[in-house]
Amino acid sequence: MNGAQSKQAVGDAPREAPLRRPSLLRRIWSAEHWMVHLALLCISVGFLMPFVWMLLTSVKTIEQAMKFPPEIVPRPFVPENYVTVLTHPKMHFLLFARNTLIIAVLSVLGTTLSSSLVAYGFARIKFRGRGVLFAIMLATMMIPFPVTMVSLFRIFRWLGDNGLGQWLGTYKPLWVPAWFGSAFNIFLLRQFFMTIPEELSEAARIDGCSEFGIYWRIILPLSRPALAVVALFTFMWAWNDFLGPLVYIQDQDQYTLSLGLQTFQSMHGGTEYHLLMAASVLVILPVIVLFFLTQKTFIQGIATTGMKG
Amino acid sequence: MGLLLRQLRNTLLGLFVLAAAVLLVFGPRRSTRPPAGRVVVTYWEKWTGTEGAQMQEIVDEFNNTVGREKGIYVQYLSVSNVDRKTLVATAAGVPPDVAGLWDAQIAQFAAMDALEPLDEMAKACGITSDYYKPVYWKACTYEGRLWGLISTPWAVALHYNKRIFQEKAEAIRKAGGDPSRPPRTIEELDRYAEALDERDEMGRLKVAGYLPLEPGWFMVHTPFWFGASIYDEHSQRFTLTDQRVIQAFQWLRSYSERLGPKSMTDFRAGAGGFSGTLNPFLAGTLVMEQQGPWMANYIEEQRPSMNRWKMFKDLKRNEKLAAERKLSVEERRANYEWGAAPFPPSDPAYAGATFAGFDVLVIPAGSKHKKEAFEFIAYVNRQEVMEKICSLHCKNSCLTKVSDEFRNHHPNPYIEVFENLVSSPNARAIPPCPIWPEVVDEMNSTIQNIYLLNATTEEALREAQERLQQKLEKFKERQAQRRRALADARR
Amino acid sequence: MRAAELRQLGKGMAFISPWLIGFIVFTLLPVAMSLYYSFTDFALLKGPLPVGLDNYRELMWEPHPRGRFGDPHFWNSLKNTFYYAAMALPAGMLVSLGLALLLNVRLFGQAVYRTIIFLPSLVPAVASAMLWMWLFNSKLGLINAALMSLGVKDPPGWLSDPRWAMPALAFMSLWGVGHTVVIYLAGLQDVPTELYEAAEIDGAGRWRRLWHVTLPMISPVIFFNLIMAIIGTLQVFAVPMIMTGGGPARATQFYTMYLYDNAFSYLKMGYASAMAWIQLLIILALTAVAFWSSRHWVHYQGK
Repeated sequence: MNGAQSKQAVGDAPREAPLRRPSLLRRIWSAEHWMVHLALLCISVGFLMPFVWMLLTSVKTIEQAMKFPPEIVPRPFVPENYVTVLTHPKMHFLLFARNTLIIAVLSVLGTTLSSSLVAYGFARIKFRGRGVLFAIMLATMMIPFPVTMVSLFRIFRWLGDNGLGQWLGTYKPLWVPAWFGSAFNIFLLRQFFMTIPEELSEAARIDGCSEFGIYWRIILPLSRPALAVVALFTFMWAWNDFLGPLVYIQDQDQYTLSLGLQTFQSMHGGTEYHLLMAASVLVILPVIVLFFLTQKTFIQGIATTGMKG
Repeated sequence: MGLLLRQLRNTLLGLFVLAAAVLLVFGPRRSTRPPAGRVVVTYWEKWTGTEGAQMQEIVDEFNNTVGREKGIYVQYLSVSNVDRKTLVATAAGVPPDVAGLWDAQIAQFAAMDALEPLDEMAKACGITSDYYKPVYWKACTYEGRLWGLISTPWAVALHYNKRIFQEKAEAIRKAGGDPSRPPRTIEELDRYAEALDERDEMGRLKVAGYLPLEPGWFMVHTPFWFGASIYDEHSQRFTLTDQRVIQAFQWLRSYSERLGPKSMTDFRAGAGGFSGTLNPFLAGTLVMEQQGPWMANYIEEQRPSMNRWKMFKDLKRNEKLAAERKLSVEERRANYEWGAAPFPPSDPAYAGATFAGFDVLVIPAGSKHKKEAFEFIAYVNRQEVMEKICSLHCKNSCLTKVSDEFRNHHPNPYIEVFENLVSSPNARAIPPCPIWPEVVDEMNSTIQNIYLLNATTEEALREAQERLQQKLEKFKERQAQRRRALADARR
Repeated sequence: MRAAELRQLGKGMAFISPWLIGFIVFTLLPVAMSLYYSFTDFALLKGPLPVGLDNYRELMWEPHPRGRFGDPHFWNSLKNTFYYAAMALPAGMLVSLGLALLLNVRLFGQAVYRTIIFLPSLVPAVASAMLWMWLFNSKLGLINAALMSLGVKDPPGWLSDPRWAMPALAFMSLWGVGHTVVIYLAGLQDVPTELYEAAEIDGAGRWRRLWHVTLPMISPVIFFNLIMAIIGTLQVFAVPMIMTGGGPARATQFYTMYLYDNAFSYLKMGYASAMAWIQLLIILALTAVAFWSSRHWVHYQGK
């Protein structure tokens, strides 16, 4: 599956296919260069505009927000909205943040550990039926959540009724499945593991290392970028997850941020958009900050896992 | 430079992780901690903000009196979408002990065996059918059993802006009305509404005399004012093709035909919602609307000047209420810019028609503390407590006995209007239909189709009739199947 | 099997056991159960009542007056979902591929552009839905304000107009193409430079290089994204649920939304399970079509 000619070794910085190799000056002044710039600039402005509008609305009063034609920059502007949101009686922001964090951390730990374990099995151990099982795993990605939604609910209820621990009404349905591997992440990691030279494993085996030892002491340390990607993806997914909490969490004290944000949507109509935008900014912020701080690892990891199917 | 950036990035990352750790370890947990040694009764309720705080007051009083005596602690939790959440939690086997739902859930939840029946416990407390006004008691029962007891009842009346009536006196007179009183029939209402409409330079609706969409919460019950209902419980049939029902929704549609469907939705998109200073009735952009007795409270909170038209301009709420005690009802009302009156029926034969709704307390099936939960429900239903919460929430009373204090010194000077309405024989409550959520969804989209002028009223209603009746039949068939299967299993 | 094979099997199974157990408990069992439930009437509060094909009948072929068959909301939600897919899928694929190609050009500020394009896909569905709800507000929203300032007299009602609600949702989905773009970028970077140089030597211009070198080389990535997009688009739920609740007049009621309502609002879980299985079969069918067609246009580099 890897290109025979330009195989990338682990840890290489990604390369690009340059279009030409003229001199730097000629590159900068070429017309196509500027056209691409222009196109990207326009598109970026379009992509950023909703964010900007969100930020601007978040510091307006409700009257300013409801003005038409809309006032672009509010004067005076109201950073107190953020305080209001943090102390809002309907949305206990910090409580929800903590709840979401608990689920996210447990999911990240579980996914990373289990997915890497399973991916190792699929990538580095040749055994009978491996291909079939891997194909089945890939196929499970096609199963829409609604198919399992009702049954899982029933299973969790049965577990609770029969003394195998109360699942519904807790966070277990949201993070425990993560400890059994996630198809997408297993796939990512398996692709990555396959790029690690077999010689390393051979040498270790000759030295008498167990299979698990190879996994733990050799493969994992070499896979940091890929593991980082898995961890980050999982964190972001858990932070943003809406459907899972919607189905499994009814007690408002246990809400996650996604559910909490929805409580701003007033049943009586007339959403307080300024507060809603402020709350949204607060919910988005951690993920974006995390992304910026780990950008390099992220991009590197994606490139080296080579997701070409 | 690269090294510096990397160190900066790592520090920031470290701080980030630290913040997360702090949140995890020291972050907030549940909202309140119940005292040890008492049975904890979880109570999920829809109210937040002021209304929530008011109910919390009642809960606190209970906890400090009956609760302390009997070792019960009620834990109040404000929950959004409390009906669906309670249903799913009940299905999940982890329901709250008491749930504060709406009238609409009684039939549906009871039919699904999602509620505990309250007959015995109520009778033991002395709460029987003559304790409540008939329209309310009936709506708490389904198939002959009692499933819930009311926390706060209410009814729907016409609210109108007296000040704007005065300002536009000429226009109203020209339309054949009398600006000193509200319209008395539906036909008059339409004339008033048209006379009071105002448009801006771009031709868009700026002020609306009346809009059925605003607030639009009771549209499905519009037939009440036309002498009919969408569902007949005795025959267990939907009656959407009844002439009077068609007439009712045709009336609703007439506003869309007159104003254009888009102008109405634009007006609503630009108006503030219910709870905000930009509520159109409060802002004066809507002159008449169909609302409940809580309006007095909302107006007091959001635009107190409307409750202090001529006097008491600087008085706070409690001071004003104290000052008002010395006035007669008419004098009190004269000081309010707005008024409430029975929403006009299409025919005088239907005078006193209203939609009598309520918030209800139920015990979900599988609740772990049924007896204790009922203690709380019974407490709320004591006359003094009921009148207190209804007074705080600014609603009328569902009890047959109403104290003079309540009647004469209620925060809403128009409370007599509501009390009369819910005592009238033409007052109706929500139809006891077990598939009500599907009815609501179906009626909502049908009504939308009607006012968006996508189909004629008759067509839309006919389709809805077929679909809903068929769904109901299927539901009953399944119920019968289940009963047979259960009976077979027993043999 | 020989002893060595057996040992390997043991080792392999040990490693993949978490997934295997999870698969059985959280996937296989629920899927089998939901198949069973689809043939029952089930409200979770009481046991399931077998009703044979009745759920499917009610959904698809139960005759009604005026020549209608099945549950009109089922057909409506299916139609809505396909309508959305017809707009969002091609638009999404073109836009994401185009963006990836643009972002692959080495120029100044490339990292910044990439970040900006990727950022929206980090936003939780709830926040995104509310933000765009606000942007699309027919009276106060930025979009209509911009349109009016450009001279459009009567801009559409967007989410409150049945004709415009779905296109609005499809347009909004383009904001989140970041994920897909990133995957394309990874694929583009794997294209061997030798091929480009060879093409240049052969005198191929930029467009021909694109058509004959780039696209075939990344066709596996395109295929992967296509499959993912099909699966995702047919399951859209959170965003429209928050933005429109299915309205106006069910114009934006997606399949999964109606399914969810049946399951958790009406507690008709058997009915919902039947809907879920139909959804699964549709996805399988479309994926199979994609796989079959892939023979003609997907080229894998030598294995």
